[in-house]
Amino acid sequence: MFKDKFTDERYQLTDEKTAIAIDVLRQRLNRQLQASLEACVRCGICAETCHYYVSDPKPEHVPAYRAEQLRKVYRKLYDATSRVIPTWTGAAELDQELVEQLVMTAYGSCTMCGRCVLNCPMGVDTRLIVRTARAMLAAMDMTPEGLKATVNVHLETGNNMGVTEEDYIETIKWMEEELQNELGDSSVVIPINKKRARVIYTFNPREVKYFPYLIQAAAKIYNAAGEDWTLSTESWDATNYGLFSGDDAAARRIAGNLEAAVNHLGADTLVMAECGHGYRSQRWEAENWLGHSYPFPVMSFVELQAQYIRDGRIKLDPTRNPKRVTYHDPCNQARSGGIIEEPRYILRHSVMDFVDMEPHGAENYCCGGGGGMLSMSEFARERKAAGKAKADQVLATGAEILATSCHNCLDQLDEVKRHYKLKVKVQNLSELVANAIIWPRPPESKQEEKDQQ
Amino acid sequence: MDSIVITRIIAIVGFVIGLLGILVRLRDIMNRPFKNDLARGRGSPLRGVLFAFTLGMAPWEKESTRIHWLAYLRGIFFHVGIFMAFGVLLASPWLSLLPDWLVWIATAVTGIGALFGFAGIFMRLAGPNERMLSLPDDYASVFLTSLFTALASATLIWSNLLPAFYVTAGVMMAYIPISKIRHCVYFFYSKFFFGFGFGRRGVIGQPNGEYAEQR
Repeated sequence: MFKDKFTDERYQLTDEKTAIAIDVLRQRLNRQLQASLEACVRCGICAETCHYYVSDPKPEHVPAYRAEQLRKVYRKLYDATSRVIPTWTGAAELDQELVEQLVMTAYGSCTMCGRCVLNCPMGVDTRLIVRTARAMLAAMDMTPEGLKATVNVHLETGNNMGVTEEDYIETIKWMEEELQNELGDSSVVIPINKKRARVIYTFNPREVKYFPYLIQAAAKIYNAAGEDWTLSTESWDATNYGLFSGDDAAARRIAGNLEAAVNHLGADTLVMAECGHGYRSQRWEAENWLGHSYPFPVMSFVELQAQYIRDGRIKLDPTRNPKRVTYHDPCNQARSGGIIEEPRYILRHSVMDFVDMEPHGAENYCCGGGGGMLSMSEFARERKAAGKAKADQVLATGAEILATSCHNCLDQLDEVKRHYKLKVKVQNLSELVANAIIWPRPPESKQEEKDQQ
Repeated sequence: MDSIVITRIIAIVGFVIGLLGILVRLRDIMNRPFKNDLARGRGSPLRGVLFAFTLGMAPWEKESTRIHWLAYLRGIFFHVGIFMAFGVLLASPWLSLLPDWLVWIATAVTGIGALFGFAGIFMRLAGPNERMLSLPDDYASVFLTSLFTALASATLIWSNLLPAFYVTAGVMMAYIPISKIRHCVYFFYSKFFFGFGFGRRGVIGQPNGEYAEQR
């Protein structure tokens, strides 16, 4: 199985690589990690919490099994009993076979969604264990090619898709014109590099490259709310695949670039696009990677939209979204960030018929697109298979629109939709909100003003 | 020296070894760095910790324990039995002074606990997932702890089993720090970090927020 997917020589373990990996484990072994490595009793009741297991119930898909692959190494290094009688405690040296097993489990069959963590009676953080395994593999240069390339492109070009500044600005200007045409209002703008704005907004490069209408939607919401906002050309990519690859040094650099852009423009608040892992990276992990706290708060665009509605800054007409809508909680926003009530609040105000899937919120199933899975073509078949749990959930709601607030989820759900032949349209929250906005000054009144002049 | 005294010494030696081993384990984990979270909190970590150690342990609270309610309840009864067996061990020099009702309660709790403990071995063997996950140490640990609990129950009925209870207790306590039974120490850490982390992020144990649906 491993040999079919990974033929490159860099996946061959050497003594030097073993030493590097063990050093990474030693450096990362804090109280939180050690407690999770020690506390598991191997009861296996975490099995059904994993979307891989639900979609394909085999023992290798039990979260505890994945964590055991790293525990073998940990025990051999840190447990006296295991050093004397390794077979008694399931300890093992880090050898080629175990490394292959780690690649297949840590990268290939876990999205680090954290559902098993929430469901473990012992409080074991398997997500943390898997990310540690990924960090060890990344240090050995064993990150799958697509994921590695995504991180490298980000480091080299400033965004993970290599979008040039020229293309970026051109797309923004194009969307500004589109929005002006849509609203018949030439006063609406998408500010770039504005100093000391209240809000600085980021994008997922996929929006710039493939989904520019999402830029238009966001701009419409900001303009309707009368927000003092800006974009930056210095650093604007919300994503950070260092979170997925386990490469903290890369994650630190990427997060630092965004922090610098916010500081240079002197913005009050950094708002992350509807990008699950981007939000989690910048909101919850970045300051720990960087080793200092930000002078500004970080929030998700989902939270900001909810605030606008609550404060009456945008008015919505839900009848413009008459179809039944269900919502997929991105794991990195809901389970890892507590953004659970806000998207529902938004949907209750912007659509006519909102229905939750079961389970939802913190208990939601991962769509299968997390953990950098979409960039690892080696595991595409497994990723689609693991989406079955989500497909069944969506189907049960009878919804025609599947809303979410994450680009990886959006892409994966689109594939799940096609693979399982679901009759739903996958949309971002902001699209639905933008569609429901009652523009403060209707286009016709602007035209009338012009005519009178 | 009679057998009671000799075996009691064995139990005490086992206890001392176990305690020292646990202290070494505690020193080890406390010497590791605590990963301080520099991100601004969203919820109360204390509420999260409180939830993790109270309501969060209720069988209906987690999907996993709702699905595997039998396995979870088995574990609960088993552990209640173990705690009671430790109580029996502590009270063992004065068993004859205990009121009958207390003796019967302790006998029942430890007896049921032991039954559920032994059942755990069969459950590990019967389920494909559990079988694949289980290590020799798991079977040995569950067996030894179940035997300790069973002997606590039996000793309350047949006091001549007290030496066997002491020996088993000594061996089990000495085995704690070098076996899977040491999860009894790490449990408090992992549960604390679980509650602290998810509480801080506003995921568990928090009151309804301002955007919650009004019912």
